Amino acid sequence: MSSSSSFPGPRFPGAGAGASGGGGGGGGGSGSSVRPWGSSGGTSVSSSGKRIQKELLDLNASDCSAGPKGDNLYHWLSTIIGPQGSPYEGGIFFLDVVFPLDYPFKPPMVTFKTRIYHCNVDSTGAVSLEILKDGWSPALTISKVLLAIKAIITNPDPYNPLVDSIARLYLTDRAKHDEIAAEWTLRFAR
Amino acid sequence: MAAESPRSAPRRTPAAKSGAGLLSPRFRSAAELAGWDEESILLAALVVEDTPVRESRRKRRPSGSSTAGGSAGSNTRKRRSRRQSADEAPIPPVALVLDDDEKPNDNEVAKKEVKQAEEEKEKVSVVEGKEKSGSTKEGEAAATGELPCMDRLREELSCAICLDVCFQPSTTPCGHSFCMQCLKHAASKCGKRCPKCRQLISNSRSCTINTVLWNTIQLLFPSEVEARKSSMASSSASKDDVKQSLPRSNNYTQVGIRNTSGSSSFTTQDYTRIGNSTRSSLAADGRRSMPVPGTMNTSSGSFDTQGRSTRSRDSGRGFVRASELVATRSSARSGQSDDASLAYRLQQEEFMTAFDNDGGERQPQNTISTARANLRAMASRAERAVLLRARGWPL
Repeated sequence: MSSSSSFPGPRFPGAGAGASGGGGGGGGGSGSSVRPWGSSGGTSVSSSGKRIQKELLDLNASDCSAGPKGDNLYHWLSTIIGPQGSPYEGGIFFLDVVFPLDYPFKPPMVTFKTRIYHCNVDSTGAVSLEILKDGWSPALTISKVLLAIKAIITNPDPYNPLVDSIARLYLTDRAKHDEIAAEWTLRFAR
Repeated sequence: MAAESPRSAPRRTPAAKSGAGLLSPRFRSAAELAGWDEESILLAALVVEDTPVRESRRKRRPSGSSTAGGSAGSNTRKRRSRRQSADEAPIPPVALVLDDDEKPNDNEVAKKEVKQAEEEKEKVSVVEGKEKSGSTKEGEAAATGELPCMDRLREELSCAICLDVCFQPSTTPCGHSFCMQCLKHAASKCGKRCPKCRQLISNSRSCTINTVLWNTIQLLFPSEVEARKSSMASSSASKDDVKQSLPRSNNYTQVGIRNTSGSSSFTTQDYTRIGNSTRSSLAADGRRSMPVPGTMNTSSGSFDTQGRSTRSRDSGRGFVRASELVATRSSARSGQSDDASLAYRLQQEEFMTAFDNDGGERQPQNTISTARANLRAMASRAERAVLLRARGWPL
């Protein structure tokens, strides 16, 4: 087990030596260069951490707001402002982003933490978005995912719905749908 | 074109006369032999005048057109301005690419000026705007150094998967480049499709390194490439070391490179911590005080004298023992922190050896002296902990 472990990066002399014993590597460390000792997929954990850190740096430059919840680099909290011109305008929607350990190769798990009246988001907050499932590509980043979610908030996809009733209402009575959506936004997302 | 040439030709006669003077007498005689009349020679002169040096022509143009004025000239002028704008067009993007994000507004202003000038068909202002953008471009290039587009280049040459500068890039048939390793991982975990455009990729071609791109990257980002290389080498080297304790002389240089980034204070810290943790682990586990033959008998007093020779070859033997120790201890399922400390120690000694072997004369003396001080500190600690010696603490 420990024979497969590798040396930690030279720039973090204090890290990793004693503290991260026990291994498993679940959830990852807070620093990307800290490789959990004895975790089986040591290199991939480190590379995913590196990539997530890079994304975090890039995000700071862009207008998206997302970042690690606490110490855990693999668990982010993100906010999406309801797009202008949509019934969700003025709402602030919180999203949970959980990165898998082999992150760029597997999609992040994104869930709404704020209730939203939307045919592609169910009551648990799960989002039906193609790029978060089979359509995932390692070249996608979390900012692109958030952009896609923004897009789907503005333009729901009622033909691949997660909540059938909302989709039906959206298709039949758009005005009613928008009214309810705005009401929910007022109620939950402010 | 054909319709306007007779109209524009006579107007240009004064200028064309001077232009005709440029024609060699041999050309004239040849033209006369060919039966060209005066007008066609003049036209040829215009053509000749028109083609070669654009810059001088453009500079002469505004004054000429201002004297000419008129509605007939506006047609040619329009065309000319369009052509000029076609000439112009590549310049603002280039300026944009070359300039970094520092002064985007400047460029925008310049671009806007160019556009306005196009609309008004005032060539003078076009030229001015162009000169302006040119001058700002030059000025910034001079200010920031050789390549002001480095950030753009980095973005362009980075792998979409690891978001780092491509390491050993390989290019897909669809023309997208990724690190070879990243692409292999992506192909194995996400299917054999291009991560960028989802086109199917065949395995054989995607696994070759794009040498031109790779060389370019190595030239442009030597530090990044070096860091990546050394980190890869060290991870593989460490695996080798721990597993089979091979002779590591070939790994010395790379590890040395990696470690030079670490400060000397780092060295001290590590040694103290290693000492402490090992000792505590010893206290916890008496079984590990198994005697290891050889070097443990060397007294701690010899640390001072052997401070330098620690970094030479025979310390390599001490090393092997240390890594043997690692092997036995890992087989004995010891705590991971102990492994960590041992790994650090191995790394440190490798560093020292590499230091002495290749970079000795380049590095300042004080680093060596701090290393020696570290060894002394180690020695004093070793004196205190007899158990430590019994374990064969390498010199």
